[in-house]
Amino acid sequence: TSRLICTTTAVQRRNVGASGPEKYTEAFIKKQIEEFNLGKRHLANMMGEDPETFTQEDIDKAIAYLFPSGLFDKRARPIMKHPTEIFPEQRKIQWGEDGRPFHFLFYTGKQSYYSLMHETYEKLLNVQKYQDQLIAQGLSLQKEKRNLAGSRWLTKIELEEMLLEKLSDDDYLRFIQLLQKLMALPCGDIEQKYIQKFSREVPVQMQKAVIEPLQYDERGVAFSTGEGKRKTARATAVVYDNGTGKMTVNGIDILRYFPVLQDREQLLFPFQFLDRIGKHDTVCTVSGGGRSAQAGAIRLASARALRSFVTEKEVEFMRQAGLLTVDPRVKERKKPGQEGARRKFTWKKR
Amino acid sequence: MAAPSAAGLGRRLRAWLPRLTQVRWSRYNPSYMEPEVNKEYYQKPLEELTEEEREKAELKAVRPIKAAPPSLSSSVFSDPMVSKFTNMMMKHGDKVLARSLMAQTLEAIKRKQLEKYHKAPENEKETIECNPYVIFHQALKNCQPIIGLSNITKGGKTYQVPVPLKDNRKRFLAMKWMITECRENKHRRTLMPEKLSQELLLAFNNEGPVIKRKHVMHKMAEANRAYAHFRWG
Repeated sequence: TSRLICTTTAVQRRNVGASGPEKYTEAFIKKQIEEFNLGKRHLANMMGEDPETFTQEDIDKAIAYLFPSGLFDKRARPIMKHPTEIFPEQRKIQWGEDGRPFHFLFYTGKQSYYSLMHETYEKLLNVQKYQDQLIAQGLSLQKEKRNLAGSRWLTKIELEEMLLEKLSDDDYLRFIQLLQKLMALPCGDIEQKYIQKFSREVPVQMQKAVIEPLQYDERGVAFSTGEGKRKTARATAVVYDNGTGKMTVNGIDILRYFPVLQDREQLLFPFQFLDRIGKHDTVCTVSGGGRSAQAGAIRLASARALRSFVTEKEVEFMRQAGLLTVDPRVKERKKPGQEGARRKFTWKKR
Repeated sequence: MAAPSAAGLGRRLRAWLPRLTQVRWSRYNPSYMEPEVNKEYYQKPLEELTEEEREKAELKAVRPIKAAPPSLSSSVFSDPMVSKFTNMMMKHGDKVLARSLMAQTLEAIKRKQLEKYHKAPENEKETIECNPYVIFHQALKNCQPIIGLSNITKGGKTYQVPVPLKDNRKRFLAMKWMITECRENKHRRTLMPEKLSQELLLAFNNEGPVIKRKHVMHKMAEANRAYAHFRWG
């Protein structure tokens, strides 16, 4: 006879987290892909579209139409995407039936990272050998300049996705340093294809803001408006042509409105930079913020208004002088457990 | 008590924070570059000095640029050294007061030099420097130490090891010594601009307590010369 030993539910409960994230077999993924394709055709049929030319955008629109959801978080709404986008890529089992691992660097723990480092170093040695050969033959080394401006290295997250392995910050830095070393060598062009795998294009000139054309008021004087902000201050500036350099803020002359010299310097900064001090009249309105924030807001507004009066090259110079960027610095919030944003409470030993 | 519970909360929060924010961070993306305000830089044609400048210009054409801070301006009157000094003199964020003190100091320097100029005989009039900015720059340059001391712990004991200083550190030390000297070693009733102008003029002629402090630093470094190798491990 067997006795029932009293065990608690804690012992009998299976430990869900112990086995790690869910592992999907290849057969499972294949089945998901087949189901997805079938479902895509059904959906196209339902919507009355051609099943052959049903793109992912059409799928998204159809799902949004058939399953309307009022949830705020976009990620919580119903989605229908290709299984490779939903299920994360997983590494296949790296050892055979006898338990012996396939890769020779398996026992380092980060096999793909170390094998990548080995490959890159091999390329470096190749380039150095090629250099030595050239020197032995007496030919000069070609120093071609590559465009650093348009490309950036892979980020740590992208590299982790590529290798399907977790990396530390140190590892990532070492890899980038090695790549930079490889690129810095004069004959590094041979390995250009290899390096291109690890660099991405940076979208050049993010937003080319549209420069508005000049407007003309009743007297025939050309003018242009601009808006600016800094911290909590919002300002609008109207810059007139053929002026004497007078500036008015909220109906008050700048000498009265900004008694501090630094603020007036900031107001005149765009005009002084373009050598147009006595040529324009400005009428501004500003609200919110403090004295320095209002000055910064008017500076940005007048710089934006001046773009219409000036050539494209000078607009580029203004941008490089930092006149056309919105200052993102705002007051940092106070955190709980501290007295201010950074200041901590007085530390008492007991 | 409020402090330990707040400290406990803070400790729990600090363990949670690193995943979201770092302590030393900036509101700008790391790809943003510093602005160049100097007008002459933009009037230069394409035959620039080095290849480095050309690469930098290429980068600048692609990357976004930070906004110019309120203390920076392209006018002839803004000087980075003078702004730095004003910021270091500022107390509790009162930039207006600091700037007015700086202006009064420069005016005082000019007045004293003009007095000397008008009293001097004809042949010496050319040697007297009247430009307060030139005097300011030269005085601070004379105060900069060449070598500094750093505390290195080896075998349980802390030694003062002579160590070369970077340019930024030299400038900072010169300005800091000047300001501390003027704040502490003065009569209760003398005002800051007066004392500062006095010290700057003395430093311009390589005299005065700030220069003495620099020499003391150099002598200490020379005395601790034996420990110089502690710098490397």
